Amino acid sequence: MKANHGGETTLCTHMSLSQRLAAWARLKSPWITIFNSGACNACDIEIIATLTPRYDVERFGILAKGSPRHADILVVTGPVTRKQAPRLRRIYEQMPEPKYVIAMGACGGRGGVFQGLYHVLNSVDDVVPVDVYVAGCPPRPDEIINAVVETLRIAGEDLKHGGREWRTKQQVTPAEPAQAPETGDTAEAGA
Amino acid sequence: MKELLSLEAVQAALGGFGPVSQLRWNRIQVATGIEKARDAIRSAYEGLSCERLIMMGTADLGTAFQLTYHLTGLHRTVISIRIEIPRENPSVPSVHDLLPPAGIYERQIHDLFGIVFRGHPNLARIILNEDWPLREYPLRKDWKPVKGTFYGGIMEVK
Repeated sequence: MKANHGGETTLCTHMSLSQRLAAWARLKSPWITIFNSGACNACDIEIIATLTPRYDVERFGILAKGSPRHADILVVTGPVTRKQAPRLRRIYEQMPEPKYVIAMGACGGRGGVFQGLYHVLNSVDDVVPVDVYVAGCPPRPDEIINAVVETLRIAGEDLKHGGREWRTKQQVTPAEPAQAPETGDTAEAGA
Repeated sequence: MKELLSLEAVQAALGGFGPVSQLRWNRIQVATGIEKARDAIRSAYEGLSCERLIMMGTADLGTAFQLTYHLTGLHRTVISIRIEIPRENPSVPSVHDLLPPAGIYERQIHDLFGIVFRGHPNLARIILNEDWPLREYPLRKDWKPVKGTFYGGIMEVK
C-alpha cells in the first residue's frame, strides 16, 4: 500500500493494517461529544447550529455522539463550576484514547465574566488537558468547525510523533540563581 | 379578573403585624418581626387569598439579614412580608408547611447565607457543591475565601 501523503509513510513503518485503518478513520470522521460544564447555553446553541443543516458538519464526517465512550473529541462549553469539575473529569476519563478536548468560548479559556467567582475554577485546563481553545462569546459555528479541523491537524501530528508527549512543555530545571549584585539595589528595595 | 388589593384592605388584615406601606402600584410591604412572620403569612394566605409564593429574597445589610417573602394570588397584588434577622445566630421559623415551595428557597438561603430555618425537615445542601467547606457562606458580605482552603472541584494539581 502506497501512502498518499507524508504523514502516513512514517505510520506505515510501525503500525499494523488495522491500526492504520483506525487512524485513517479517526482522522476522516471524528466523533464529538458536548459537555456543558456550567455555560449560559449560548455556546450550546451555537454547537446545535453547527450540527443542524445550515452548517451541517456531518458532510465532513463530524458526528455528535451522546456518549463520551464513543467520542474522540470532547467539546467543553462554559466555565467549570466546582460542582461540575469532578463530573467533567469523570466524563473525560471515560473517553477512549486518543482523546482531544476543545474548550469553547471566553469562559472555557479563563473563566470569562465568571473569572474569580467563588464557585468556578479558573479554566477548563485545571480539570482536563485542553488541546484547542475557541475564542468568542459565543464562538460562531464556522469557528467551531475550524477548531475541530485544527484538532484533527493536531491529531495527525500526534500520529506522526507517536503520542502527545511532543506537545508538552519541556521541564526546564532552573539554573543556579545568579549572584545578586551587591550594589545599592537593596537599599532601594527596602525603601 | 379580580381587583388589586387596596392598601386599606391590607392594612386591615395585616396591620397588626407591623407597619404597612405601598411600594409600587401593585406591591404592598409589611415589615414585621421574626416570630410574627408565620402568623402574618397565614393571615395573608387566609384573609387576603395570597396562596402563591413568588420568591423569598435575602439581602445582607451588613448589620442584619433582610428576608422578604413575596406572596401573591389571583388578585395579582404582591404582598411583601419583610423581616430582619440578627447576624449572630440567625434563626427563623420555617414556613414549608404553610407554603411548600418555600422549603426549596429555605435550603438555598441556608446554603448561601447560613440562616437556620427551625422546623425544616431536611435543611441539606442544594446549590453549593457537595465538598464545599462547612460554615462558609459565600453570599455574606463579610465572606472572603480563606487562602489554602479547598473549596471543591479538583483536589490534586495536574
